[in-house]
Amino acid sequence: MHNNPSDLIVVDQLSKYYRVANKQPGFKGTLKHFFDRKTYDVPAVTDISFQISPGEVVGFLGANGAGKTTLLKMMCGLIHPSKGLVDVAGFSPQRRQTAFLKEITLVMGQKQQLIWDLPPMDSLYVNAAVYGLSDHEAKVRINELAEMLELGEELTRPVRKLSLGQRMKSEILAALLHKPSVLFLDEPTLGLDVNAQARVRSFLSEYNKRTGATILLTSHYMADITALCPRVICIHKGKLFYDGDLDSLANSLSPSREVKVELKNPCASEQFEKYGEIQDLNDRFVCLLVSRDKLTDVVSNLLTDFDIIDLEISDPPIDQLIGELFIKGEVN
Amino acid sequence: MQRYFKTIRLFWSTAFASQLEYQLNFLIELLAMLGTLLGSVFILSLFFTGGRQLGDWTWESALVIQGVYTFLDGLTNALLRPNLTEIVNYVREGTLDYVLLKPIDSQFWLSVQKFSFAGLPEIILGLSIVFWAAIQSGSTFSIYSLLVFIISLLIGFIILYSVWFLIAASSIWFVKTWNATEVLRALLAAGRYPISAYPVILRFVFTLVLPVAFLTTFPAEAILGELKFNILFFGLILSSLFFIFSRLFWKFALKHYTSASS
Amino acid sequence: MRIFGLSFKVIKTLLTTQYAYMLEYRIEIALWALSGVLPFIMFSLWSQNDVGNSFGLNDIGLARYFLSAFLVRQFSVVWVVFSFEEDSLSGRLSPYLLQPLHPLLRYVAAHLAEQATRLPFAIAIAITFFILNPSSFWLPSLPQLFLAYLSTHFAFTIAFLLQSLVAALCFWTEKSSALERLIFVPYLFLSGLLVPLSAFPSNVLKIAMLTPFPYLINFPAKILSGMPVDIFNGFLAQLLWISILVPSVNLLWKLGVKRYTAMGA
Repeated sequence: MHNNPSDLIVVDQLSKYYRVANKQPGFKGTLKHFFDRKTYDVPAVTDISFQISPGEVVGFLGANGAGKTTLLKMMCGLIHPSKGLVDVAGFSPQRRQTAFLKEITLVMGQKQQLIWDLPPMDSLYVNAAVYGLSDHEAKVRINELAEMLELGEELTRPVRKLSLGQRMKSEILAALLHKPSVLFLDEPTLGLDVNAQARVRSFLSEYNKRTGATILLTSHYMADITALCPRVICIHKGKLFYDGDLDSLANSLSPSREVKVELKNPCASEQFEKYGEIQDLNDRFVCLLVSRDKLTDVVSNLLTDFDIIDLEISDPPIDQLIGELFIKGEVN
Repeated sequence: MQRYFKTIRLFWSTAFASQLEYQLNFLIELLAMLGTLLGSVFILSLFFTGGRQLGDWTWESALVIQGVYTFLDGLTNALLRPNLTEIVNYVREGTLDYVLLKPIDSQFWLSVQKFSFAGLPEIILGLSIVFWAAIQSGSTFSIYSLLVFIISLLIGFIILYSVWFLIAASSIWFVKTWNATEVLRALLAAGRYPISAYPVILRFVFTLVLPVAFLTTFPAEAILGELKFNILFFGLILSSLFFIFSRLFWKFALKHYTSASS
Repeated sequence: MRIFGLSFKVIKTLLTTQYAYMLEYRIEIALWALSGVLPFIMFSLWSQNDVGNSFGLNDIGLARYFLSAFLVRQFSVVWVVFSFEEDSLSGRLSPYLLQPLHPLLRYVAAHLAEQATRLPFAIAIAITFFILNPSSFWLPSLPQLFLAYLSTHFAFTIAFLLQSLVAALCFWTEKSSALERLIFVPYLFLSGLLVPLSAFPSNVLKIAMLTPFPYLINFPAKILSGMPVDIFNGFLAQLLWISILVPSVNLLWKLGVKRYTAMGA
């Protein structure tokens, strides 16, 4: 393993197994389970290695249950690895040393740390005390972050009376109060509406530019990754499948592009079949998957052969690509 | 550390603020407490019919024990129970992770985060009964006896805290802990009566296994000026052992949490 | 054939799945059975201090009463208000309300299933008690056993209904489990769990008999332990209370569900 001194985070051959009990259904199974439990090991993460430099924004992409959260928690020190090594800013996370804890922060989507019945401001002052910030420092920091997050009087309303989006922003504020240099975000936009999601993403991007903080986030929303992360690490069934920039991934995955057409008059599907794979056909709207090399020909043919009101060319949704990637099990 | 004291101050002032939202709770607690006290004193009186004594305790001195019990029950409701409930919630919702990532001792955070002011009336009433009944039974207070009383209360509380925290820590495995707290409540109820009222075997159990004796009987003896010094000394050692064990168990529970959760 | 509008198959499935659920929590069930030790602690106090004689009970009588009180409690303890409040706060209630099964029956099944899981522990504790107190051993006659079983079952029903009343208040307030405390306190002192009610001075006893509480422990325990008790009036009182509580719970529940759905929960 090469220890590049400029690496902030180093993960080497990291693995994690869980011991699970096996129960058969039905009454007989219940009795058997009562007297004699059988257990087996479930691998959550297997032999993952990567390095992250300071100031990077890295997205961990994968289906539900792929192991991204487990991986993230091992980097925070909340889960002890079964095998392998984790080093964050020179610390071993599982030791949870005070200096380490002051450098990091964790935000989990749908899981709150703010006190429910009180305004966020009260929780913020508690956090400030815990992290050893003076009242003055806390005030300055809160104002700074509130401005960036577009939070104002929300901070003085009880948390239970805030909308989900406002709650999430307040959670983020609370998490960043102590100026951590490493941010761990686990599904931060989970459950938020489209606008709120966009605002969280733009904030994180801005925050990274302004402070140079390293951001690691897990998501199964592709939009989070495309909007924020120049670098993406794909996890599937606990294994690392891809580590590199998003554009190359998209390009290598997709030899096709999506062509969306709005026609003047509805046409039958047979007429489009020679141009490409039909993704969707709905009255006057058609969506085709066309291979890249044939793209220009197909588009010019469509324009001549049909009465077209509107035409749009884009990449197929990356979700689909990644989905196919996971099904294939590898990247070429 | 200054940080810790500031944190307690903030924790309890936020707890107070959030409780003002639940005034009904406060009223109910008050009523329940008064009802329980009344009932317990009534049951106690049944033992004294016909001029009897209870394990060579007089009626007035037995009331001192009831007072100490009420005081400790108040402390339990104010400090121990709300924090245990919080710990169970954290474990269940997966938000214990946030506590573990704070640069402050997790056992400290989890033990003092909540404070229920609904327990205050019980604390005050309990202490009032202690002093009133002690005077009624003819004792005089000296600086020494008061000091011994305070120390013995502290011993009792540390033992009580350690047992509660053990149950709270076990929620990492069991999540549902109200069963364990019910067993505890039932066993501790034995503390309403003087230890000498029980058969020898139980006296042993209540002194060494689940030291209920240290919770109520010995502090009562202290304020009545009758506590022997060697018992006090033994109590100090015992409470330290209980506390150390609770801490070790918590570390053990955390180890399990960090290797078994997902 | 239908009971409470449920087919036999549904009942069987409900009970067996709840039973499986209970077996998952074996340690907890053992703890639950243990938490019933209060009667034994009280027994040791009463017998040690020789107080029984003042109300006409010798040691053996006391032992039998308290063991009976323990057993009756094991099979009549109710916790529906806690489960219900939890389900209501976590939003699980909505799907339950949409099903053709009255949600309260779900909790009844859970309680009955847990009683079944407790049986071995309760028997073990009873055997231990007899080993420690061999002179108090007795076996109730078959009719006695049947009457005791019936009265315990009625006691369970009354207790369940009482708590369901409080649980239904969940539809109006978030913390109805706190109100349960207000019922628990009189239950503790007036049910006969701490002392056979014959020890009460007569004026207190008269007031106690006006409440349902003596019929929750005292009445069934006296039948089981073979103490003299007015069986006819006791059962009458139990049935009377049930006939008052069932419509009350029904009414409150209906009102509550109306409010719940109106609030758009």
